[in-house]
Amino acid sequence: MDGEVHRAAASWENGTLAPVDRLRTERADSPTPGLVEGTEPGAGQKSAMFVHAQSFEDLTAETEEARKEAEGYSELGKPADSTDGIEVLMGKDTISEKQNKKEGWQDSKSKEEDVSSEAWRSHRKHVFVLSEAGKPIYTRYGTEEALSSTMGVMMALVSFVEADKNIIRSIHADGYKVVFLSKSPLVLVGVSRTSQSDKELMRELQYIYYQIVSLLTLTQLNHIFQHKQNYDLRRLLAGSEHLTDNLLHRLDRDPGLLLSAVTCLPLASSTRDVVSSSLQAAKAKSLVFSILLAGDYLVTLVRKKDQFLHHIDLHLVFNLVGSSSSFREGEGWTPICLPKFNTAGFFHAHISYLEPASDLCLILVSTDREDFFNLSECKQRFLERLSKRNAYQALKDALKSPSYSVAQVGIPELRHFLYKSKSSGLYTSPELPVVYQSEEEEERLMGLYHDLHSRLHHATRPLRSIYHCGETENLMAWVTSGFELYLCFSPLGTKALAVSAVNKLLKWIRKEEDRLFILSPLTY
Amino acid sequence: MSAIRVDAKVVMLGKESVGKTSLVERYVHHRFLVGPYQNTIGAAFVAKPIQVGEKVVTLGIWDTAGSERYEAMSRIYYRGARAAIVCYDLTDSSSFQRARFWVKELQNCEEHCKIYLCGTKSDLIEGDRSLRQIDYHDAQDFADEIGALHFETSSKTGNNVDELFHKVAEDYNNTAFQYMTEETGVDLGQKKDSCFYSCCHNN
Repeated sequence: MDGEVHRAAASWENGTLAPVDRLRTERADSPTPGLVEGTEPGAGQKSAMFVHAQSFEDLTAETEEARKEAEGYSELGKPADSTDGIEVLMGKDTISEKQNKKEGWQDSKSKEEDVSSEAWRSHRKHVFVLSEAGKPIYTRYGTEEALSSTMGVMMALVSFVEADKNIIRSIHADGYKVVFLSKSPLVLVGVSRTSQSDKELMRELQYIYYQIVSLLTLTQLNHIFQHKQNYDLRRLLAGSEHLTDNLLHRLDRDPGLLLSAVTCLPLASSTRDVVSSSLQAAKAKSLVFSILLAGDYLVTLVRKKDQFLHHIDLHLVFNLVGSSSSFREGEGWTPICLPKFNTAGFFHAHISYLEPASDLCLILVSTDREDFFNLSECKQRFLERLSKRNAYQALKDALKSPSYSVAQVGIPELRHFLYKSKSSGLYTSPELPVVYQSEEEEERLMGLYHDLHSRLHHATRPLRSIYHCGETENLMAWVTSGFELYLCFSPLGTKALAVSAVNKLLKWIRKEEDRLFILSPLTY
Repeated sequence: MSAIRVDAKVVMLGKESVGKTSLVERYVHHRFLVGPYQNTIGAAFVAKPIQVGEKVVTLGIWDTAGSERYEAMSRIYYRGARAAIVCYDLTDSSSFQRARFWVKELQNCEEHCKIYLCGTKSDLIEGDRSLRQIDYHDAQDFADEIGALHFETSSKTGNNVDELFHKVAEDYNNTAFQYMTEETGVDLGQKKDSCFYSCCHNN
């Protein structure tokens, strides 16, 4: 894992990521904002804050890696070995497997009324986590006890295919997709009725896996199961179920998780600079990351030199803070593993709100578990500096309207958009217009974005741009080496209009970029 | 506002959902939050000054998570504690077993720590006596045996809560030797490697 971080840092030094000064002039000259990575609106000027994971591709590429790893692992106990994992794919054979599965469901019917109900079956997306011994660890709906036989069947499927030196990836049948992710010592299974691709579902399972690792570390996880194969992991995860529930909810709703990016609180750059430098000044020897959040918005992030945060880790931190009211009272001090940084060990995070009723939450990530009081002092120093320089009030004012309306862009047909700067790993998006504010409509719009995303990033036939005319809206998506853009227009617009709107929007984002993005991230 | 000076470190221990956070919440903020149960993550720290006679004693209260997940970490929270409030749920006998575990743990690792045994949710018992699973006298006997003080509290009504923390502060004040170090009043540098300790700490 360490190696991975270094590798990413190295590629950044090679110039793939941060624009050098030369680019800054180019930026001003360019009539259309740059399409080249590092010059697009929102690209950081000094260096990036995140491990430069170009995200979706990286993530899935890594799945392959991990898959091979897992494969290697499972082969340890086997006499013969084979290196190529052949995808077991659907077709007629798998239908019988599917029927097995249904029987499994019926088995559990007698035990627990809940999971046999039509309501339980009709959930859009189920997620199950089990141990390699087939012991239930987590289910999104219903209780784990009631599903132990179902999960047993799932494990049987995995083992059955593995016995032939193959790996089960997915089963498609009856309008359902069943996706398997084997991450020894855990197995994750997603059952979905949505139009999402296997790849997307796999990615979501991966998030859940990292969520579990962030609570326990992979080292501990391996240790436990090496000692006792049929250990009931729920004992250790007790009380964390809502974190996983919440993460799944976010995966459906939060564009950040879809785009592998984070959104910033719109803030005058002068204010943000003061906040960032105050945070930078409040440093301690053991500090690795200082993160200031406002709800689901990033206000600023200061990191140790040469240490990068991965957006998955940051989303796990968002999820931890957002799912729990326990940091509202007093100062939290908790071990946390940032799995993309290092799966082997815990960091210790000092988590506290700047004021009890405020949305501003400060997270100080330290390597030293004895450093609580030191970090508590860092927070005080940060607060003092912030109020001394009058930035605290400005920050609180900005929080009153944390989003902006799409009308500010000045394109009448444009209803909503998502814009991600690839090199900074940040995205911006206006608040949802009235037509999409109901829960159903919001979910539908996100679903449309999910569709566009998976078509752009199709494993074998990736696309550069899509224009889609629908009954209720027209959609457009465009990906370049510098950015990803998803737009939603009123159904009355035309394609020509949409194309000209893109140019106008990019110019607007360029104009507003120092408010919408963090252009100069700091290090200690 | 510079670093808070903490006189006595107090740690809350006990099985999950016995009401450690509610107890602290009641004492520090004088309120009882009704709503879905929210488990503590890691631990939460609150400093609370309390008037004892003529003096003000600041209690640094560590409200720890009851989940087994944090068990290996718990030592960083109770190390150097002057007082431990070991909680159990009066309506849950398994929580009393857990309390015994914590007492043993403290006796082994933290001999200077004074133990306060605290049965929580006494309001439930008042509502329906049959809910009681831990006999008052059994708990009292156990407390005597380990040299601890025994309280039964209700965070919902506030019954006995202030008394408990006041006693903690008073006892601290009366203790002859003043064990204090530097700014924080808690010796974080002190290293004892007797007890079990997580293998997963990242250096």
